[in-house]
Amino acid sequence: MGSGNDSILDMYLYETNTLLEQLDGILLAAEQADTFSQDNVNEIFRIMHTIKGSSAMMEFSSLMTVAHRIEDLFFIIRERTMDAVPEAMRPELFDMLFQAVDFFRGEIEKVENGEALSSSIDSIVDKINSLVDKIQGGGGAAAEAPAPAAAPPAEAAAPPAAEAPAAPAAPVPAPADAAYPFGIHVFFDEGSGMENLRAFMLVTAVREFTGEFICHPEGVEDDPSTADVIADQGFVVWFKTVKDRDQALLAAKSASSVRSYQPVDAAVKAPAAPAPEEHAALAPEAAKPAAPAPEEHAAPKAPAVGQQHAKESLISVNLSKLDQLMAVVSEIVISESMVTASPDLKGLRLDNFTKSARELRKLTDDLQDVSMSLRMVPVSSVFQKMNRIVRDMSKKLGRPARLVLIGEDTEVDKTIVDGISDPIMHIVRNSMDHGLEEHQEERIAAGKDPVGEIILSARHTGSEVIIEIKDDGRGADCQAILNKAIRQGLADPDREYSQKEILNFMMMPGFSTNTEVTEYSGRGVGLDVVKKNVADVGGTVTLTSELGKGMTTTLKIPLTMAIMDGMAVSVGDSIFTIPINNIRSSTKVTDKDIVHDPARGEMIKFLDNYYPIVRAKELFQMEEGHDDVADGIIIWLETGDRSYCLFVDELIGQQQIVVKPLPPYVNSFNVKSCGITGCSILGDGSISIILDVANLYSAAQDIF
Amino acid sequence: MPDEVLFAKHDDMDAAVENTAPESLSDKYLICLSDGLLYGIEANEVVEIITDHTITRLPRVPHYVRGIINLRGQIIPIIDMRLRLGKMPQEDNCIMVVNVESQLVGLLVDGVEKMVDIPRESILPMPTQNPQKLISGMCSLPEGTTMLILDCDLLLHG
Repeated sequence: MGSGNDSILDMYLYETNTLLEQLDGILLAAEQADTFSQDNVNEIFRIMHTIKGSSAMMEFSSLMTVAHRIEDLFFIIRERTMDAVPEAMRPELFDMLFQAVDFFRGEIEKVENGEALSSSIDSIVDKINSLVDKIQGGGGAAAEAPAPAAAPPAEAAAPPAAEAPAAPAAPVPAPADAAYPFGIHVFFDEGSGMENLRAFMLVTAVREFTGEFICHPEGVEDDPSTADVIADQGFVVWFKTVKDRDQALLAAKSASSVRSYQPVDAAVKAPAAPAPEEHAALAPEAAKPAAPAPEEHAAPKAPAVGQQHAKESLISVNLSKLDQLMAVVSEIVISESMVTASPDLKGLRLDNFTKSARELRKLTDDLQDVSMSLRMVPVSSVFQKMNRIVRDMSKKLGRPARLVLIGEDTEVDKTIVDGISDPIMHIVRNSMDHGLEEHQEERIAAGKDPVGEIILSARHTGSEVIIEIKDDGRGADCQAILNKAIRQGLADPDREYSQKEILNFMMMPGFSTNTEVTEYSGRGVGLDVVKKNVADVGGTVTLTSELGKGMTTTLKIPLTMAIMDGMAVSVGDSIFTIPINNIRSSTKVTDKDIVHDPARGEMIKFLDNYYPIVRAKELFQMEEGHDDVADGIIIWLETGDRSYCLFVDELIGQQQIVVKPLPPYVNSFNVKSCGITGCSILGDGSISIILDVANLYSAAQDIF
Repeated sequence: MPDEVLFAKHDDMDAAVENTAPESLSDKYLICLSDGLLYGIEANEVVEIITDHTITRLPRVPHYVRGIINLRGQIIPIIDMRLRLGKMPQEDNCIMVVNVESQLVGLLVDGVEKMVDIPRESILPMPTQNPQKLISGMCSLPEGTTMLILDCDLLLHG
């Protein structure tokens, strides 16, 4: 990962693009339903939180600011649920979010093209702010004066629009004739060109419904200069009655190139631009979501066709395709050996054939290697990202800290790396922000190295990848956490909780020990996301902490599919594979080395310690296999705190294997608990069964 | 299986066939043989038929689960029909790979006979007093034999 910034940028682009795609999906579905479910709100909140964090890390301040504001907005919505947003404001909210997504996309595109980011983000930020204000004020206002807000739901969208002139960027022009108070304000697609003619087509379409209307600007059909006005301020059609207007809305909806349209009413008392203040107080800066956009978007659009330097070099491929690829490749390897070793060729002298066959063999070997390695990526890409986070945060917060990486080259399935990247980032941030002491003096007083330390480690055990994030900070104050949990209604004040239970409160949505919201963390989006994301890849999170000494977060992630170094052994005609890092040694022994205990258990002595012997043949109730210890071989195994010996017939050899899960039907017989975790296809197409050393021993104990 | 029950059903069924409208729905079944009995499996559940495959034994599973095979990179469990239905196993056999609840399972049978088209009406329920749990229905074939319709879902969960 020497190429530092480039790979970080790639990751950032890829990740942000993925998040934006996800956001788009949520928004589209939510707009259909016209509301956000609480899950959606949480999800959007998290997405914004992540974009905010990673943009801050990359120093893309425009992205960060906008994401931060949207996060604020959703923080409120999350607290008060979607009810806080009155029906009438929802379209505005959705429009704003879609615009924000476009804005993010535009900015990302600029990053990709190596252009400067836009500095004028005020309009979109203003828009978000006004929404925030409204939602915040909305709850109270609705309670005090429900009538104006809730009474005419049919026209709910209209009243705020009446105050629209308050929006500075593109005021709705007042109707030229007060007899036509009901308007439609239409914007055409940016850059569609010939806005006046498009407006004219709209007028023609509207004329089919009603003849009584006036437009602003006028003379669209023969005055090309109106095109600019329309592009800038939109096109307004005014009607005499609401009914006419509603019909015309249908026309506007189906007209081509219309980007947005909305009904506007010329309030009788305040028809035009003046008096923005009072109205702003009533319904601040209203529904004009599309208006300020053209200025802002016109800029990014123009140079977008530029060269493509930093385009992401990562693509995402559906995992099932990789599975398929693996399956096809292993088939090829087998067919290849069937062809070259075909009995029909026996005794023939085929020089050219042999040469070509050798070439083919080499190529299929390469193919197999490549396809196997496709799914596996070292965790270093994720780990390296943390360096930057620790460095930046340490500077910003004024807390010297260093990050120690252990086991960076541990290879993990692609899905898992994708799944754990976010959680690890959150945990490291949490450690920096809440874990490490605020002042160096505190550390010195506690007798610690003034420089804080965060250790990030990854390792494989037989069936899991264990990732640990450990800081040597102040640790979690259980009492404070419990108090906070009680305050938040998560805990029952009359109950006694164990330390573990208390720590688990930290992983509940909305929990945060930090009272202050910072750029990096706070609000408790950290740990609940961590828990969810890790659970998504089938893993678990455990927290351990000692007050004053620090905190350790352990992610245990199952090895769904991974390349593993294994030792193949045989018992009878069955082949088993034992993870190589569980094996300490293997030896031939004779009967007299075995010590028996009264319960017919067998033991053997290695290095001044006795270890129990498990006979694979007996454990698995197999018919074939050696019974005499002298015929087979003893393998000394170790896992966690257990150490024992397994007796098998023969060692076949060490090999890299691809772990395949057993079919669900087989798993339904609970073979996992007796030490069988998966299987793997060997070079000749036969299957070897992968043993889990820890469960194998438990199973053996249950039997004997 | 009590013969008299079978015959009674047979007669009913003939009547049903006569009343059948030409456009009536029918399903294709693949007939396989296991221990002298004919079993029908819905043809669209059958993925393929393979012979001569090495089965890797699995420890600690019920005896009727003969093990797993590698079918072009997919790991498929194999259920011995004879053992599953409480009969004695035999050596000579073939594997029908069926798709049950979107997982592939291999059924070890004595042999596969042929494909038949069975109108839905002619499938009769099993007599209730018959304790056979894996059969969801039965019907007579033109040549006078009787086919038992195997319920693959029950095979997995029964």
